[in-house]
Amino acid sequence: MKRTIPLAICLIMGVVMMIQFFIPHPISLEFNSTILNWIIVLFAFALVLAIGNLIRHHSIKIRKRKHDWPYSIVTLTSMAAMAIIGLFWGIEADSLFQRIYLNIFAPLSATMFALLAYYMASAAYRAFRARSLEATLLLAAAFIVMVGFMPFGQYISPRLPAFAEWIMRYPNMAAQRGIIIGVAFGAIATALKIILGIERSWLGGKE
Amino acid sequence: MKWYDRITQIDRRIIYLLLTLFIILPLFIPFKIPQNVMPQTQQLFDFVDSIPPGDEVVLLALDYTPQTAPECHPMAIALLKHCFARKVPVIGVSFDPQGPGLAVEAITSVIREVNENARTREDSVIYGTDCVYLGWKSGRVAALLQMGESVPQVFPVDYYGTPIDSLPLMLRVGNYKDVAIAINIASAAYPDDWIRYPQSRYGVKVGAGLTAVMAPKYYPFVQTGQLSGMMSGMKGAAEYEHLIVKHGYTDDSGTAETGMNSQSMIHILIIVFIVLGNIGYFFSRRGVKQ
Repeated sequence: MKRTIPLAICLIMGVVMMIQFFIPHPISLEFNSTILNWIIVLFAFALVLAIGNLIRHHSIKIRKRKHDWPYSIVTLTSMAAMAIIGLFWGIEADSLFQRIYLNIFAPLSATMFALLAYYMASAAYRAFRARSLEATLLLAAAFIVMVGFMPFGQYISPRLPAFAEWIMRYPNMAAQRGIIIGVAFGAIATALKIILGIERSWLGGKE
Repeated sequence: MKWYDRITQIDRRIIYLLLTLFIILPLFIPFKIPQNVMPQTQQLFDFVDSIPPGDEVVLLALDYTPQTAPECHPMAIALLKHCFARKVPVIGVSFDPQGPGLAVEAITSVIREVNENARTREDSVIYGTDCVYLGWKSGRVAALLQMGESVPQVFPVDYYGTPIDSLPLMLRVGNYKDVAIAINIASAAYPDDWIRYPQSRYGVKVGAGLTAVMAPKYYPFVQTGQLSGMMSGMKGAAEYEHLIVKHGYTDDSGTAETGMNSQSMIHILIIVFIVLGNIGYFFSRRGVKQ
């Protein structure tokens, strides 16, 4: 019963939502609107669950003094502080919440991300070698696109930006289109398997 | 150690030091390299430039995070400046939880800048009349679909908690029919959903502002017309800044043009290192064969 009811709901809702897409009748549209509102509310509840899970996970970590547990204190304190500041002192443009976001959170996040540039430069130097025909083609394409898209690429050769754009518009687009279509077919197949109850891993547990 | 072995084994600390210098120096020694505008940026600019003033609105989905702000934030600033200069109303939304902080900053700073330079009421931007920020909403896909039926149902209040029926701009915006173009500035694959749902189901025009690494994926959508233009990376932002200055909408080019100088210098440095690495690899392989 614990598995049959969710599977039945999934089948009915999957089929009904597919059919209603093609029926522009007011009842169908009203039904669609109600379901969409439910989904938005459900997602909000998922957020509450996520917060609960985060608190639980870090509380256990602190209680059991697990590896790097002091960072869990930072996580929980920061979360509580931001929630209290936002709830009681507002989230306007000149609020304390916004100042903390712009002056602490944003620079810290940007710094972490900026470190990638160093790793990428070092990795490109060490790993980007013309070892085979494929690697040489990749290297040549990357070289043309990088130089062509730089503002002064046009001064090296006026045709370089156009050639870089050609690489993006034709070879790149052909490959991307193939990937997109492949992914779309895969998504359709997976969706059908879930709706028809063939794919049941989303229910959790064993068969 | 032979010279070709030496150039394949440059210490990473030297690479890091040179990289730091190449990033910082262009910020202190400003120079201007003319931008060659890519067709997809020009397409987006032309679309926004053709919207009749005060008629339909531009829906700006600000879904970028602080990590990608150097690329995406100048796009938002440039688009807002362009719309406000043309008297095209803007509605902002976010579906990424990290979005609102930067969205509020972009909208308030541009409104402040426009109003400081305004001489008459017509030149100024009033929140609620010319621009509204609706904030963040959970359940992105469902919200995007529901906005096609009714925007007030998804966002009954704006980001600051003001009921949207008290905001003059929102009284004339029911759903996507009142939107000239929805432009998603994103640091994740959110434009996929804008193309799949609002564009495919409701026929709303969609534009995108993306990080450089995301852009190659979206070329097919520009070619099919599912995207009515896009800005890719800091270069796209710099191009849009260049276009709004060129057309006289603002005197001030933004931060992306300066950022492009640093980015170009780093690209040159990386290319030099890759070439050095390959020269060393080529000669060392020849040495082994001999």
